[in-house]
Amino acid sequence: MKRTTKRRLRQGGLYVVLLVAVVFVILKVDWTAVHEDLWGPGLGDNWHDLIVTGVKNTLLYTAIAFGCGLVLALLLALMKLSPVFAYRWLATAYIELFRGLPALIAMLGMAFAVPIVFHWKAPGGTLGAGIVGLIMVAGAYMAETLRAGLQAVPKGQAEAAKSLGMNSFHTMVSVVIPQAFRIIIPPLTNEFVLLIKDTSLLSFVGAAIGQRELTNVAHDFETSGSTAGTATSLAQAALLYLIITLPLTQLVAWLERRQRRAR
Amino acid sequence: MITRSLKTTATALAAVAALSFGLAGCGSDDDTATDGASTGGSSAPSLDLVSSGTLTVCSDVPYAPFEDFDKSAPSGFKGFDIDIVSYIAQDLGLQLKVLDEDFDGLQSGLTLNAGTCDVVASALTITDDRAKNLDFSDSYYNSEQSLLVPDGSSIASLADTSGKKIGVQKGTTGKSYATDNAPSDATIVDFPSDAELFQALKAGQIDAILQDYPVNYDHQQAGGFTIAESYDTGEHYGLAVKKDNTDLVQAIDGALQKMHDDGTYDKDYSQYFPPAAS
Repeated sequence: MKRTTKRRLRQGGLYVVLLVAVVFVILKVDWTAVHEDLWGPGLGDNWHDLIVTGVKNTLLYTAIAFGCGLVLALLLALMKLSPVFAYRWLATAYIELFRGLPALIAMLGMAFAVPIVFHWKAPGGTLGAGIVGLIMVAGAYMAETLRAGLQAVPKGQAEAAKSLGMNSFHTMVSVVIPQAFRIIIPPLTNEFVLLIKDTSLLSFVGAAIGQRELTNVAHDFETSGSTAGTATSLAQAALLYLIITLPLTQLVAWLERRQRRAR
Repeated sequence: MITRSLKTTATALAAVAALSFGLAGCGSDDDTATDGASTGGSSAPSLDLVSSGTLTVCSDVPYAPFEDFDKSAPSGFKGFDIDIVSYIAQDLGLQLKVLDEDFDGLQSGLTLNAGTCDVVASALTITDDRAKNLDFSDSYYNSEQSLLVPDGSSIASLADTSGKKIGVQKGTTGKSYATDNAPSDATIVDFPSDAELFQALKAGQIDAILQDYPVNYDHQQAGGFTIAESYDTGEHYGLAVKKDNTDLVQAIDGALQKMHDDGTYDKDYSQYFPPAAS
């Protein structure tokens, strides 16, 4: 058999397998059940709270966690590149600790353990504490991204800045950091998407009615309102999450393509 | 290289296909489960069960004294609800299997509709709203709501919670009671389970817990916390089954009646609850 024939046969086989799998899934799904349980009548009543309370708070909490996380990450990344050993060690310890912990544990810890151990409560009650937990984890992840970005700026840039008489602080702030950010925008956007999804964990630390994020609102509609007893509200929330995250992941792909071209 | 990676893709796809067929095999077990109750004893008609010969019970654990973990018990759980369903399973000649599931899904009927279990035994109050989505047995417990505060708290009644934070559990009747009766400037914070709720009170994140009396009673007995007030809300706990599984409801009601008649109910009850609780 010729090589091309072989390849064609193999590809044809792959298509058949895929087709069988797709047909099988379509046949196996109980479409009436999908209609009743996942997209039930009365779902129109849910949109208002899902969007006005849920989506709004999800985006707000993500923005807070991302903004504060980024500041923390920058601090950690600079510490990691510091000539002082103790700073490097401390940053590494922090990053390894918080990257190794599930975000949920960090959030529960901030909400329930820290107030007992340190007699200190984060502002905003349990929800504020949960967000602080999220910031600490996000900071650890983004610190590694930032460090990689800072190190990816060619050494010649810093050397050139120094030769122009800039001190090391000035070099960092106006030469290295701006270039590093350009490199890490795609991975940072990814981190943003991850954070959007992680805010759904906030329902575990408790929230007042106006503080609920999207998953929490959807959760409440499982038991109240016109779609109670079905998973309709979860399907609605899933759709809203995708509406937020898909453009962002597309943006990452576009940024990466553009960067590849710029090189 | 290309052909090799194609080969791996093909293998992976085949594996996926095989897996989904395998899952389909599991799915069709549901159909055969119906005739499985032939092993069931006594006068029970052939029951529609999730898994033949087994009474699969869902409960949101821990919720002492109704349900709690117990490694030494055969089911892995203990508590008043567990005693009740153990008796029922034994009476119907079925094996007992207890699964720990999230309360919200249990009380909304979601878990039952998904075919995860036959019976919900999770300190579930009978309400009209819930009865739309699931079928209840006769009630087996009368519950009150109560307000738990730390020792030395300035809160003596619900009226004192003005400007304070009251913790409640998502989807519970305690949450409804707090929403309807607390002062308008009290903040009601809801948590997924009593575990987080009690942690939050201990950490001072909330000022009081509005929760079922027996659960708060357990916390009070453990020390450091006091029940400031209790409310008779006329609540009754029932076991729940999937909507329209009438045979199973009848079998459960029969077993419950038997449990009352032979004194087992009173014996179990006094083991968990103070006489003044209901």
